[in-house]
Amino acid sequence: MEQPNELTVEAPRAWDRPTVSIPVLACLSLVGGRFASFSTEANLYILGTGGLLIWLGLSNRVPRRPAPTRLGSGTVWWSLPIVVFGIFEGVTFVVAAGDDFPTFSRLADPLLEDHLLRSVAWFAWLAAFWELVRR
Amino acid sequence: MMRALAIGGFLAALALFAVMEWLARREGSRIPTLGDLCAYVMRYEVGPVPVGRIGLFGFWWWLGWHFLAR
Repeated sequence: MEQPNELTVEAPRAWDRPTVSIPVLACLSLVGGRFASFSTEANLYILGTGGLLIWLGLSNRVPRRPAPTRLGSGTVWWSLPIVVFGIFEGVTFVVAAGDDFPTFSRLADPLLEDHLLRSVAWFAWLAAFWELVRR
Repeated sequence: MMRALAIGGFLAALALFAVMEWLARREGSRIPTLGDLCAYVMRYEVGPVPVGRIGLFGFWWWLGWHFLAR
């Protein structure tokens, strides 16, 4: 018996399932974690992966979740962490005191020299990017 | 002393992001999740141009380039 259209649900594509996307992102992250900062490989790799995700996100090739049409009255609370972070980043950047009063990126640089932590950072960046593409 | 202040400030900001996300995920919360907030921003269009989507993708790509390639 034929089902009415409004009752049918489109099955998620194979590559859209976490069992596929997470291992793919993990492999991409392990590769990205091997490239040192300021290297040509790192620049080309981030151009390639980011460019691909931007292309997927701007085309209609990936199914998107419905976006909210209105936000709750508590949205303004998100300005709290943003402002706190912005104040510290702004002040440390303007003062430019180096390691005595470091910016966030100066603090992160020594951590990201470790290959494992760099791969973890790559995974976080790619996973968040993939979530944005599907929104 | 100033270094500890900077580290403490950034850790506090990151902790606030985590607390906000936790509060947003509670039942009946009026605070949207960070994902919903981003999705709402990405709905913004000027004519046929998805300005919100381009802006957020551009910002996220720049962030990755800044930390992972520069």
